[in-house]
Amino acid sequence: MKPNTFLRRTSGRTAPGTLLAVGLAATLALTASGCAKSEDGDSGSGDKSAAEGDAGQVVSSPGAGDRKTCVIGDYGAEKLDLKSATVGFSQSEKEANPFRIAETASIKAEADRRGVRLLTANAQSQFSKQISDVQDLIAKGADLLVIAPLNSDGWEPVLRQAKAKHIPIVTIDREINAAPCKDYVSFIGSDFVEQGRRAADRMIAATGGKGEVAILLGAAGNNVTTDRTKGFEERIKEKAPDLKVVFKQTGEFAREKGQQVTEQLIQSKPGIDGIYAENDEMGLGAVGALKGAGKKAGDIKIVTIDGTRNAVRGIVDGWIDGVVESNPRFGPLAFKTLDTFTKGGKVDQDIVIEDSAYTKDNAESDLGKAY
Amino acid sequence: MTDIGLGRSRVDRDRLLRLLQDYGVHLGVAVLLLVNIAFTPHFLSAENFRTQAVQVAPVLIVALGMALAIGSEGVDLSVGSVMALSTSLLSLYLGYGMWIALIVAVLGGVAVGVANGALVAFIGVQPIVATLALMVAGRGLALVLLPQLKDVRDPTMASLGSGDVLGVPYLVLIAAALALLVAFVVRRTTFGRQLLAIGDSRPAAKLAGLPVRRVLILVYVCSGALAAIAGVLATARLTASDPTSLGTLMELSAITAVVVGGTPLSGGRVRVGGTVAGAVLIQLLTATLIKHDLPPSWTQIAQAVVIILAVYAARERGRR
Amino acid sequence: MPALPVRSAEVLSVAGLSKTFPGVRALDGVDFTARAGEVHALIGENGAGKSTLIKVLTGVYRPDPPTAAGTGVLTYDGSEVEFATPLEAQHAGISTIYQEVNLVPLMSVARNLFLGREPRGRLGLIDFRRMHREADTALRGLGMRVDVRRPLRELGVGAQQMVALARAVSVEARVVIMDEPTSSLEPREVATLFGVIRMLRERGIAVIYVSHRLDELYEVCDTVTVLRDGKAVHTGPIAALDQLRLVSLMLGREIGDVREEGLTKFSGGHDAEAEPVLRAAELTVRHLLRSVSLTVRPGEVVGLGGLLGSGRSETAKAIAGALPPDSGRVVVAGVPVRTGSTPAAIRAGVSLLPEDRKAEGIVPGLSVRENIALAALPGLSRFGLVDEARVDRVVDTFMKRLHIKASGPHQKVGELSGGNQQKVLLARWLAMNPKVLLLDEPTRGIDVGAKAEVQKLIDELAGDGLGVLLISSDMEELIEGSDRVVVLKDGAVVEELGGDAVTEDRLLRAIAAAPAAPTHSPSAAPSDSPDARDAPGDDQAPGDDHD
Repeated sequence: MKPNTFLRRTSGRTAPGTLLAVGLAATLALTASGCAKSEDGDSGSGDKSAAEGDAGQVVSSPGAGDRKTCVIGDYGAEKLDLKSATVGFSQSEKEANPFRIAETASIKAEADRRGVRLLTANAQSQFSKQISDVQDLIAKGADLLVIAPLNSDGWEPVLRQAKAKHIPIVTIDREINAAPCKDYVSFIGSDFVEQGRRAADRMIAATGGKGEVAILLGAAGNNVTTDRTKGFEERIKEKAPDLKVVFKQTGEFAREKGQQVTEQLIQSKPGIDGIYAENDEMGLGAVGALKGAGKKAGDIKIVTIDGTRNAVRGIVDGWIDGVVESNPRFGPLAFKTLDTFTKGGKVDQDIVIEDSAYTKDNAESDLGKAY
Repeated sequence: MTDIGLGRSRVDRDRLLRLLQDYGVHLGVAVLLLVNIAFTPHFLSAENFRTQAVQVAPVLIVALGMALAIGSEGVDLSVGSVMALSTSLLSLYLGYGMWIALIVAVLGGVAVGVANGALVAFIGVQPIVATLALMVAGRGLALVLLPQLKDVRDPTMASLGSGDVLGVPYLVLIAAALALLVAFVVRRTTFGRQLLAIGDSRPAAKLAGLPVRRVLILVYVCSGALAAIAGVLATARLTASDPTSLGTLMELSAITAVVVGGTPLSGGRVRVGGTVAGAVLIQLLTATLIKHDLPPSWTQIAQAVVIILAVYAARERGRR
Repeated sequence: MPALPVRSAEVLSVAGLSKTFPGVRALDGVDFTARAGEVHALIGENGAGKSTLIKVLTGVYRPDPPTAAGTGVLTYDGSEVEFATPLEAQHAGISTIYQEVNLVPLMSVARNLFLGREPRGRLGLIDFRRMHREADTALRGLGMRVDVRRPLRELGVGAQQMVALARAVSVEARVVIMDEPTSSLEPREVATLFGVIRMLRERGIAVIYVSHRLDELYEVCDTVTVLRDGKAVHTGPIAALDQLRLVSLMLGREIGDVREEGLTKFSGGHDAEAEPVLRAAELTVRHLLRSVSLTVRPGEVVGLGGLLGSGRSETAKAIAGALPPDSGRVVVAGVPVRTGSTPAAIRAGVSLLPEDRKAEGIVPGLSVRENIALAALPGLSRFGLVDEARVDRVVDTFMKRLHIKASGPHQKVGELSGGNQQKVLLARWLAMNPKVLLLDEPTRGIDVGAKAEVQKLIDELAGDGLGVLLISSDMEELIEGSDRVVVLKDGAVVEELGGDAVTEDRLLRAIAAAPAAPTHSPSAAPSDSPDARDAPGDDQAPGDDHD
């Protein structure tokens, strides 16, 4: 081989910087979105649906008698007019999945609608960043806080700071370990165990309560995984003793992993009747595996949780039997809670939202509601 | 030189360790196959072997690049992120047609490889640190380009992922072809020989006038390009670009395949056949545990045990 | 060994000390005594046992068990001791300053000085103010003015060494061992160091001083012990020995010995009138080489003489592109070669057989075949693909020509004997058709038969018109093998011997002669030179009849 003259020449003094720069520049040049051109299609972009979707969440059973409530006097804050207030919103994870995208979009849309000034921050999945994010929001003059916590623990310093300034806090989608109506006002979120139960109900209906089902678990050590598994298994045991859970493997909430695990499953247990995927992505992976194995839509019943548009479309196509929604549109309810509270009204400390569900009956008509 | 008077047992043990390092992985594959044929229902079927082969293909392709990096006494931790980057680029450029998007995606891997190689060869950064930097940066860039999963609808891409020739999936054919290519490069080209010499003794290679820097850069370019190809194939199979999770922990699987395959971490040797067997071994191990519905944490523990055994065999042999 | 008058108290001594490693007797019945207020030089060539002796004295190695009563015992301060670890020796008051400073570069100068024995205030906290004050005082005492709060790494190597020295002195040491302390110092720093050594002597501390720079010894040392092949061959006052005598003791060669001819396989006497194939001019590398110039003609074997550390290997490496020179030129066959680039030197036809065969020469895990073909590979390839048939032919040719003994071309080089490894390396270079061969200790560590073969080979290669630069610690090899010998001392050429002048006598005298330029500039150390001037032999002319 005649030595490559370009590389030989670069072995002088200036080469390292040049070469490194070439590598990085090439990477960046390739990624300059100016010349990128992706496929046309409407998949994936959640912003539209989040803004134009339904009016947000509904409280699952408002007005029940034994609920603990909170009023502004108990919390130690003062009344204010939400319209002239500044609200700080701290998001936990990068808006890299439909749930987070829809959640942030919903908060923003509701703030716009109400004409409230909104400050936002994203912790990029780093808890220490979320703590400093919230401190920043306070420093920037937030009168009210909406927090989507990354962790349940470790909030004491921030809460103390907020307390000193009498700033009401509402947490969404995940609870924090502190005293409601004292350290924070309310928690608004889904009941993941209940989501599991409802998924079980769908599975029982789809399979007729008999046969064998598999569970594609979420990421290990995640409370969502634990709760969704618990609700599903309890309900199956209680209502359909003839339906057996014969397979439980993790798909780590990712489509590729869900597909790979399902491929193994349908070869070792060809007689499987149903697959319960603990999120839509794994369910879509399972669909991919079934298609690849030459199965037909409806051969194996699939029930998933979340309610992303792709999954709901799967129902329309006949591959998925049911999708239990985990509603990310916290905006309207969060602001309504803050509004009531700052006006001096009574709000629940623990607000569990009503998640809807998609089945063959409503999938087509409600596709626009999916995020 | 201290072998005098140590007797036969030492020599026998040496030979055993050598055999274990060189062929233990093939033995492991054989044992797992037999165990599965005996105990796993429906294991002995064409579909099953097809599934395992398709699932292992991207891992194997990444591991081939990793074997080159390890053979040069380095390592490439950025492979998983390169997969993510290539799937993002692919998705972004698919509007121009599959082939252009494919080329752009592979060029992305090449660019990361050039950056890795420049850091290692010219600036003298430890490979583990240099590629760690690109691992973090690569995934970040991939997510900036494509913040969330996006479906791929291109029918050619879909058929690349699921099509076959005479029942052999494209993915498997491509992985096999790349394995043969890498084996050829290692054995028959100047680059391959120089890579091994540099991995075995960098000072000697330098004094022998070898183009050490050029070879090292080429090593990381190969690794980056192979990882990008793996990313493209994984995307085709999934018919979706998922930069958040595609390729996560891939570097560990690849290193495991290479090390279990008998390529020493100390460099100077690249065992392509062993790497193929190593990747297959891990795939079979995972499949066995999943098919028997054993707790997922067992898979990790089993993998760890296999790695420890492989490293132990290599280490004990290296001690002689 | 003459009995020494007792000048001062013995602090540290060994008698009949031996240390055996598997297959090697590194020390063989060595007697050594360090006395209070005495600077004791310890010298010897490579492998003489200096570092082993130091390591035994400082507790790194344990000596062999005594063979007879009173032998192999370490006596410290009048009683028998055994240091299990270097730390024990340190606590007992034996401080060592190594060539490479072993301090913590990121910590402050003061922290380094007091590492492990920081002055504590109340509550057991470090009393920084006191520490800084005392550190400052200690360093001023050595003539150093630095900000003791700065990290150590900001200081120059010499200054770092002074800090190490200050540390050694301030730990109440009774014995201070210095291993090549001046190798990376500037002349001014050397002068300061010598000042400190004299101060230590006045304080009654025993100093053991290891150095290859003979002139230095005369400047600061009182007594000298010469080690050779693990034995102490001479101990006595340094003033009683001239440099010539010292060198002959180190090398084990007596002036005027009848030299037996034919001990080596060199035929000798290549005459050479042709234009030089290699011309190295004014090669300079900081601390290593000072303006080294030499020429080699085709068919000529030029020897590089000198003691360990004189810059022989560095000269070869600088010519071969492996050591980038600060200045200087290399011209091969009339064409200037870019310095500092091995590939450039190789392309020009320069091949180096490095001194450290195992680490820098062979690629141990690859086969004989791959090792031979390694450098020539691009030439044996087409479009990046190796032409295996051509490689086989080349490998076969050289394995036969050099009589390489291996089970076959596919045996790993790491499994061969030293001699065969060396032949593989020679084959690697011969396959490149070089114009100049630089051979650094080509026969060291290989058995007698192989040695003779390699020597014969070198002779043949020169006969074929190659220019050879030969470095060897083996005097016979150097003298019989070389047509000319360039003698180096302290990194500079001191003499060039040609024709009939290539004799052992002349060589020893040249090595012992004063360096071409002083190691330390006199202006920096005006009051430090009398010792050196007093030393006999310093002004010895090469031609003087001494014995």
